[in-house]
Amino acid sequence: MDVSQYLEIFIDETKEHLQSLNTQILELEQNPENMDTINEVFRAAHSLKGMAGTMGYKRMQNLTHDMENVFSEVRNGHIKVNASMIDCLFQCLDALDEYLGNIQESGDEGTNDNELLIKDLNAMLDGGAQKAEDKKEEVKAEAPVSDISKEKWKNIPLGDAENHVLAEAAKQGKNIIGLTVYVQESCILKAARAFLVFKALEDLGEIIVSNPSAQDIEDEKFDFEFSIIMIADCDAKKAIDAASYVSEIHEVVGSIMTPPTYEETEEVKEEAKEETVATQTVQEAPAAKKEAKAPAATAVAEKKGKPVVNRTVRVDIEKLDVLMNLVSELIIAKNSLVSATNAEGAVNVGVNEHIEYLESVTTNLHESVMKVRMVPIESVVNKFPRMIRDLQKKLGKKMELYMSGEETELDRTVVDEIGDPLMHLLRNSADHGLESAAVRKERGKPEVGSIFLNAYQEGNNVVIEVRDDGNGIDVDAVRAKAIERGTITEEQAESMSEKEIINLLFLPSFSTAKQVSDVSGRGVGLDVVRSKIESLSGEVEVKSKLGVGSTWIIRLPLTLAIIQALMVVVGGEKYAISLGSIQTIEDISPADIKFVQSKEVITLRGNVIPLVRLNKVLGIESTKKEDENLIAVIVKKGDKQAGLIIDELMGQQEIVIKSLGKYINKSKEISGATILGDGEVALILDTNALL
Amino acid sequence: MENTKKFADTAQYIVISMGDEQFGIDIKYIDNIVKMQHITRVPNVASYIKGVINLRGEVLPVMSLRLKMGLEADVTTKNTRIIILRLEQYGMIGIIVDEVKEVLTLEETCIEKVASDSKEDRDGFVFAVGKCEDGLVSLLDLNAVALEKE
Repeated sequence: MDVSQYLEIFIDETKEHLQSLNTQILELEQNPENMDTINEVFRAAHSLKGMAGTMGYKRMQNLTHDMENVFSEVRNGHIKVNASMIDCLFQCLDALDEYLGNIQESGDEGTNDNELLIKDLNAMLDGGAQKAEDKKEEVKAEAPVSDISKEKWKNIPLGDAENHVLAEAAKQGKNIIGLTVYVQESCILKAARAFLVFKALEDLGEIIVSNPSAQDIEDEKFDFEFSIIMIADCDAKKAIDAASYVSEIHEVVGSIMTPPTYEETEEVKEEAKEETVATQTVQEAPAAKKEAKAPAATAVAEKKGKPVVNRTVRVDIEKLDVLMNLVSELIIAKNSLVSATNAEGAVNVGVNEHIEYLESVTTNLHESVMKVRMVPIESVVNKFPRMIRDLQKKLGKKMELYMSGEETELDRTVVDEIGDPLMHLLRNSADHGLESAAVRKERGKPEVGSIFLNAYQEGNNVVIEVRDDGNGIDVDAVRAKAIERGTITEEQAESMSEKEIINLLFLPSFSTAKQVSDVSGRGVGLDVVRSKIESLSGEVEVKSKLGVGSTWIIRLPLTLAIIQALMVVVGGEKYAISLGSIQTIEDISPADIKFVQSKEVITLRGNVIPLVRLNKVLGIESTKKEDENLIAVIVKKGDKQAGLIIDELMGQQEIVIKSLGKYINKSKEISGATILGDGEVALILDTNALL
Repeated sequence: MENTKKFADTAQYIVISMGDEQFGIDIKYIDNIVKMQHITRVPNVASYIKGVINLRGEVLPVMSLRLKMGLEADVTTKNTRIIILRLEQYGMIGIIVDEVKEVLTLEETCIEKVASDSKEDRDGFVFAVGKCEDGLVSLLDLNAVALEKE
């Protein structure tokens, strides 16, 4: 079967399941007795196994199968959850992650069999088996009772023709196998699953008859079970295995059947044998039965907890991009209408009304398209508790991660990219930031260090903070290191503020860790963090107090493609400034300009703000005279401010950001371009670069 | 058979004029030819980059072939055109030319490669010379033209 078209879905769903497993196992570590969690884990492992099997990833399937066995035993109370088991399970998840990585890259799962892990898992099972022995006794005792009623294949009415075929097959020494397959009640595509079962069985032999008929099954005219009688060379066990190999199959019951023409007495004897075969069914059968017995109970329990898996509609990002482009064009069209009416002096009031209507429609449309692209950062930050847990063991420090604002939403493209920088910062906090337990005690801090990851929206930005209550940044050590490395001279160091020194940490290959550890300290962290964040048009800032802790603050723009901007004119040229970075617009008289270190500044409500004459930066003549009042647009970045001197204000406009292309990337002051209503191109000023 | 062979051995060039000289641009790199339009200046970039234009909703950089070749600055006339090139390495770029003359089909045998040792001056932008009835056409090496160099 060609499964390549399902590969994407498989990868996405596997990721979801792995994430859910990670979270649930962490939860299990805290609450080893929680049945809900164990059930959830079992379900996720089972689905993973099924999916891997369908896609033909054998190694992945083997590993998940063994994991599932362990969970199944845990669920039946035969083995208890302990620390070494959790460790092993986490290793399994890592291994699965590796498989997934390989699949994502090459479509192939790779060649790592992870035999050690499988051995560990089986060892766990054996440990549990001893205890399970006596309990199995009970299961065995009750199993046949329930099985007889389940073996519905015995009720298939056989016609003369079928009887003849079966008798013929028996004469040739072939086995006649009767099977009843129970599909999971949550299964959506019953017919497809049934088809897969048929296909699997047809590989083994010939299907003689089924109930309901093959046609009815194909049309999904059956409840959750169907029965089959087939002839094959293999034994019943093999057929059962083949059928239960298909995912979302709840249970398969079956055994060798005696041809109907045989004498009754013999059949009874055979039946005794059958029973033993039936109890062997699939390993999960007893477990599954137990679940079936108490469906009501689990259903109630499930409702109580919050929904574990996000219900999502997967939309191809390319389709969204197309939609987005269309919206962009609509906005440009709207802008041209606006400028056309303005140019003609707008005599017709009716047109204006329509334009206003169009404007509200495009704005709403834009917002909803953007919202579709927004995903909560949850999907990224969810993996961090697990990471901190691992770091804790590796570093031998005690620490706890507190997260808030996981529901904060960001553009999908940003969310995909933000994971690595955040991971760097968290590792940094864990390794460099937090002190060892002994030192913490000495300093009168709680032994367990705290790392906080907070996300929230602030105006047009999303802020993500990584904070720790560790040692903070030792400014003197950084300064000494910088001088030693020749990054700055001693004279420079003298005149640099603490903040400037701390910012040196973001330079490539600058690490203050005395010892390079596995976790961090190679000096490839912070500069990567910064360049990554900046490539997303965000910024990163650090605040630190020696002995108290440090806070890393990442600011990211909420949207990337369409922004509200202030249009200004400098020397006859039109430029756009993102509204998000603008604080106020001031009218300044030339007399108010003061000089500090021969740079122009103004004082505004107690703040000294440096002035930037945009015409000089942009290399163009200002149209204003020397003694005229100046217009300054006050912009801010973090806690830095600057006043950009412009010639004229045009007004606020929604603009679509277009890239200047690969060819012009040298211009630092320009972050992009936009197309105005009259078709002209206006450049967007990068205020961050001007500060 | 005869026809395909003929196709394989010929290439089509757009002939442009720059001052007194004629240049050929391989047609497979040309996306579009548009009339001169308003160019938005981009500050602080190389002088030969004239700025950006709006081509049906896309923002494209435009460079002056004259300035790049060290000739005197463009004088816009009614014949001035912007040729939009699609280059693998740089994406879409517009170049300003004095005039677009014709489409020329050149057979392989009529194209003579020029020695590549004179990369320094403007001959460095020419990789071959094509011979046709009207005389000689210098064929432009577009990657060399687009190469970032003052």
